[in-house]
Amino acid sequence: MSNFTIKKVLVEEGARKRAFTDEVLSKLPGIPVQHVKGITSATVSDELDMGKDTLHLLSYKGEFLKPCPGTREYICCGYQILNVATNCPINCSYCILQSYFNQPNLRVFANLDEKIDQVLKEIDSKPECIFRVGTGEFTDSLAIDSITCWSDLLIPRFSERKNAVLELKTKTTQIDRLVAGKYRDRIIVSWSLNSPYISAHEEHKAASLKKRLEAARQCQSEGFVLGFHFDPLIPHPHWKDEYLRTIELMDKYIDPKGIIWISLGSLRFMPGLKPIIRRRHPGSCVLDGEFITGLDGKMRYFKPIRIALYRFMRENLEKWHQNLGLYLCMESDDVWQKSLGWSPKNTIGLSSYLDRRVVEIFG
Amino acid sequence: MGIPKITPIKSQLVNPNKIEDFPGPYCMSFGFDIRPLAQSIDRVGLVNCPLLIENKNAELTVIVGYRRIHALKTLGWDRIPCGVLSEFEVSPLECLLLNLYDNLATRKLNEVEKGMVLNRLHSQVPRKEILEVYMPLLELPSNEPTLLFFIKLEQELDTEIKEYLVQKKISLQTAKMLLKMESDERSHVFNFMSSIKFNINQQKQFIDNIIDLAVIENKPTHELLNEPSLKAILVNKHSNNPQKAQAILKLLRGRRFPSLVKAEKAFKKKVSSLDLPKSASIHAPPYFEEPHYRLEVLFREGKELKETINRLTLTEDLDDLGDPWEKDV
Repeated sequence: MSNFTIKKVLVEEGARKRAFTDEVLSKLPGIPVQHVKGITSATVSDELDMGKDTLHLLSYKGEFLKPCPGTREYICCGYQILNVATNCPINCSYCILQSYFNQPNLRVFANLDEKIDQVLKEIDSKPECIFRVGTGEFTDSLAIDSITCWSDLLIPRFSERKNAVLELKTKTTQIDRLVAGKYRDRIIVSWSLNSPYISAHEEHKAASLKKRLEAARQCQSEGFVLGFHFDPLIPHPHWKDEYLRTIELMDKYIDPKGIIWISLGSLRFMPGLKPIIRRRHPGSCVLDGEFITGLDGKMRYFKPIRIALYRFMRENLEKWHQNLGLYLCMESDDVWQKSLGWSPKNTIGLSSYLDRRVVEIFG
Repeated sequence: MGIPKITPIKSQLVNPNKIEDFPGPYCMSFGFDIRPLAQSIDRVGLVNCPLLIENKNAELTVIVGYRRIHALKTLGWDRIPCGVLSEFEVSPLECLLLNLYDNLATRKLNEVEKGMVLNRLHSQVPRKEILEVYMPLLELPSNEPTLLFFIKLEQELDTEIKEYLVQKKISLQTAKMLLKMESDERSHVFNFMSSIKFNINQQKQFIDNIIDLAVIENKPTHELLNEPSLKAILVNKHSNNPQKAQAILKLLRGRRFPSLVKAEKAFKKKVSSLDLPKSASIHAPPYFEEPHYRLEVLFREGKELKETINRLTLTEDLDDLGDPWEKDV
């Protein structure tokens, strides 16, 4: 079962009488269920908890497969988001979802099973393209997998496609359903990592770094390809020693040859997130850095600070293994050059680089 | 609602000393200048009578016309023609709405008055109705955060800060930032700000930096504001207020953004050491975020431009110009 406690379930009209909803409710016996028409003041939990213990089932009207909302000012990885849910039961102080969505609760889309065929049809219609698809952008891919069973629905379907990979990104150890299944091909299980200090102090309710890496090792030994994401990198006291400790832990648990990519990104956020972090996480250190307004209007660290972070990570990760598929998330050409020593120049270039990694690893 | 019943009420002369002196629960006037109204009444007389409510103890409270009564008292009238209702004829909500609609018909409410309205309605009217009916009436966006902000503004801000807001000495954004602070902290920050008279942009920078530094350095804001470096700027007799404001912001910025300020200084130093032609200048992009620097050349004709370009090509050390932090990263 999930480590995350669900205290209430809200079922919107569009999610009623669906097999998915019945399945979810059967996994939550004794949890109060409320049938609602939509968001009302009665369905909104306290602003501070953001309804992280309220599972809200609804039928999603929008597109399920969407390109990553990158901005043209910086180089984007060209990832495709499979929008299965919004918001997350983990409570990271730096999480952009706190200001990204204006609706609370763990909003799970009960019509995914109905819409997934449409998504796959789109993927199948472009056999010349490689679709790097992930569910971990607007929620944690695995945190409530024991309740939603997304992995049962998605993994077999993506595993049999030659022009797609599915990346499940998490900060949890919820891998039971993955390893119990028989599919491995074209599935990437990824963990978001940070320094031990940031993990312990800023990633509330996430699994410890050690546990994440133990879960990653189990997945690797079960034949899964791994990905890692150091995003957001956050300078904090002794950050070099701290990030080195994480790399040492990776070395202890993981065979680097089975890693498809490691992304590096530094904390960036819309200005509106700052007062929310101050209010929700008063002891947090994540706003302490020197943030400037980036070209996309988001707050980000002053450039040399970002370069120092990336350069340090690159040097030390490459000491561990040379071929890790390192890339930067939402950075400019000059920062790429100065920190990684090369640049894909633009989003197309980075997409091609990552597509090549897919071909190298999965064929 | 009984409001239509009261329109034919005849006025009676009331001793102004018998009318309660404070605005009471129905009036929503704040930060007004009584002089124009007093001048108007003095010149042409009282056009509309105030409306009062009398309780069982014969105490009179203003429903409508608080400013007029205030002006009449200033003018020394010893009898004021007023409509007087009994508390059994109208409910408190009706009184409140009488005042609101009477005000809206003649003027725009300021932000503090909007807060007064919403705070009072909040205890008597369902929230949904406030959002759907009264917030549009007050020309406010109908959403919960705005409603909560205006209620908080009325409930928590000190009168002095409200006066500054109404007089536009602080912006609504500054008021929002002040409201996010604890009461003591707010009072320290506001007193400091009002002593220096920051402009609106400077207020935001000042509050942003002081709050960030208090968190980063784990110090209460009053301790930061009492530091000798800031005190020295405040008491400097050779600077005027705008100069002091700039010096304070510069000091705080240097402390909040040490790498950025260091880079800016190093870049400026490097550029000024280049011996560029007087008509040429080199500028860094905001925060050095864009990869390109900008060369600006002023010229009247092509020949002059060519000469400047020639001189530029001969400028020594131009090859060394680059990101000022390169050695530090």
